[in-house]
Amino acid sequence: MDFAYSQEQQMLAESLGRVVKEDWSFEKRRQRQQNNELDSNSWNTLAELGVLGLSVPTEYDGFGESAASLLAIHQELGRGLVSEPVVPSAVICAKILANSNNEALKQQYLSDIASGQAIFSLAYQEGQRNDNLADLNTQVVRQDGQLVLSGQKQAVWYAGAAHAFVVSALFNNELALLVVPADVEGIVINDYPTMDGSRCGNVDFDGVRLDETALLANGEAALQLLNQGLDDGIVALCAHAAGAMDYLLQITVDYLKTRQQFGKPLAQFQVLQHRLADMYIQKEVALSMAYVAAAGAGEPDQDKKRRMLSSAKIKVAMAGRFIGESAVQLHGGMGMTHELEVGDYFKRLIFIDYLLGDTKYHLKQLEALE
Amino acid sequence: MDLNLTQEDIAFREEVRQFVANALPQDIKDKVFKHQRLDNNDYIRWHRALDDHGWGAPSWPVEFGGTGWNALQKLIFEIESFKGGAPRLLPFGLSMIGPVLMKYASPEMQQRFLPRMLRIEDWWCQGYSEPGSGSDLASLKTRAEKTPEGYVVNGQKTWTTLGQYADWMFCLVRTDPDAKPQRGISMLLIDMRQPGVTVRPIKTLDGGHDVNEVWLEDVKVPYENLVGNENEGWTYAKYLLGHERTGIAGIGLCYRELQILKNLAAEVQWNGKPANQDVRMKDQISLIEADILSLEMMLLRVAADSTQGPGPQASVLKIRGSEIQQDLARLQLEVMGLNSWPYSPSWLEAGEDVFGPGHPFAAAASANYFDMRKTTIYGGTTEVQKSIIAKQILDV
Repeated sequence: MDFAYSQEQQMLAESLGRVVKEDWSFEKRRQRQQNNELDSNSWNTLAELGVLGLSVPTEYDGFGESAASLLAIHQELGRGLVSEPVVPSAVICAKILANSNNEALKQQYLSDIASGQAIFSLAYQEGQRNDNLADLNTQVVRQDGQLVLSGQKQAVWYAGAAHAFVVSALFNNELALLVVPADVEGIVINDYPTMDGSRCGNVDFDGVRLDETALLANGEAALQLLNQGLDDGIVALCAHAAGAMDYLLQITVDYLKTRQQFGKPLAQFQVLQHRLADMYIQKEVALSMAYVAAAGAGEPDQDKKRRMLSSAKIKVAMAGRFIGESAVQLHGGMGMTHELEVGDYFKRLIFIDYLLGDTKYHLKQLEALE
Repeated sequence: MDLNLTQEDIAFREEVRQFVANALPQDIKDKVFKHQRLDNNDYIRWHRALDDHGWGAPSWPVEFGGTGWNALQKLIFEIESFKGGAPRLLPFGLSMIGPVLMKYASPEMQQRFLPRMLRIEDWWCQGYSEPGSGSDLASLKTRAEKTPEGYVVNGQKTWTTLGQYADWMFCLVRTDPDAKPQRGISMLLIDMRQPGVTVRPIKTLDGGHDVNEVWLEDVKVPYENLVGNENEGWTYAKYLLGHERTGIAGIGLCYRELQILKNLAAEVQWNGKPANQDVRMKDQISLIEADILSLEMMLLRVAADSTQGPGPQASVLKIRGSEIQQDLARLQLEVMGLNSWPYSPSWLEAGEDVFGPGHPFAAAASANYFDMRKTTIYGGTTEVQKSIIAKQILDV
């Protein structure tokens, strides 16, 4: 084991930290939130820094980095609540494509994902909760030498910004993954803001006709690919959350030092000090769990891997809730206002519980283990 | 001791149920159950419907036009009206300044203001907190200077709930800057519809506008608008806060939100079954219902003990009530699952079709969860309440 960042990781994290501080400042973030569309300048900035190519293999113009690099980079993104579709496109879908055997699709898309020219999202959830990823209503059938896809996907992260989707569907009663460009006939995207001020969409596929080459994988291979993508997503998301918690703790410390009541700074009240200490404890738990997730991504024992990733997601979500709620509480009435960025961090930390499987989903994964 | 409802109590409960079912306008009920935003007229319509029935002041004694109900009847009324989808009663007149005036104001002042509270002929708001004085309320800086014509008030108040509709503010001001902080405070009734009063909205986490900042610049207040005696405002303020804390437990709201939670859990599908069949969810619903039962009995016990003023138990009620309200909002969000992701504040405005892929409650769940964080902050934070409890039980 070696906890030190490599020289490349160190350099990238540092330059990213500087850019995030500047370009994802409170004011700039809020401005961009007003727009319903992805800001192309910010997206290009992320591409130029190499963030989008991190998980893409070198033969497709990426950096082919391991999950450990996700840990370093996504903490920095989390500090600035970088809410562009990095995780769905450059982490989850990049991983699914990279690990697939469909060379044509890899050639077609991976280098564009790394350069930011292609934005992908994963359409795998449907209207009602279903913890079995292969229990789907969306269907794909073979017809006249083509594939025909029909179904409705819900809560697709950044659907409105996506150029293409990785879609899960049943094909001959087995799970299949397909790559579906967003602009083909029969697709309707209903894009909306989410509780954390980022965006999602519902995507309807109404008899969408695709070439056979759109089929990425089916059967057991499809389920494996899907989980590999989601698991890398969890690594990135846990790191993002840990970074956000770190920043939120910092602004709460600053507030307690500044705000005076009863003739002294709030920082001098023991009851508040202890809550702050509890937040710090939870931040350390979350950061450690982000490391557990990254270690889990490289774990060969599948049961152990599952335990590490699901445990990480659960504990990070719990820590995020505690730190988010506590930060609001310690800011008092000011924490309830839209005027401060405390609320933005709180909302993101809450939303993270719901992304990529909520706590109950992951408890169910753990329940299935020995 | 008889811990069960009598036949009369049960009959009264039925009477309240029937009344709410008949008298509450359907559009208000719909908004309440969907957590849509209510406007001032929604509140006024409900208050007037109650007053038409002689129930305009459920918590007041008969001599002031109230119902004269006992503690249990008040509780039954609160629970049943909330369960039936009624909005909360505006607390500013009925449970905040009203009781203060009954206890401390001159008969003239009582006569002038109290009867108008039953039909919300005056909309009241609270002028307590200031930007620099939250938990440390006694440090407030708004000052009232004496002139031959009356007081002239200057300062800034904040977190003024529904102040955008207010006709009158009960306001804590400093009348003696040289006295100890608690000693130099007076309570004034300020006409909000006059020059020098500026109300500005504060947008909150849920995107809503319930609270305001209020600027008071050379605002003229006649001497007759002083409540009780000059420099004794802190006594009145504390009396009011004690009332606020028992009311703030929100038992009616807890029961209504529990009902909403149960409705959602019965309807939303998890793995092909209603969410209330999921053992993880089911346990959480059972536990929160147990919490509510304890809160209800605690309220009754405290109310039965009329010998005590607002003591540590008032703070216990405030803490427990606010935590339960927060837990209920969190569970509603959880049970909604994917359906709770979409959110835009405008979806909760009246007249908008509630947007929610899959569910009309979608937009409300996250907004309500975020908004409920205020309950452990307002009316004395949980930290302040715990200090009150500790001081009293330690006798320090």
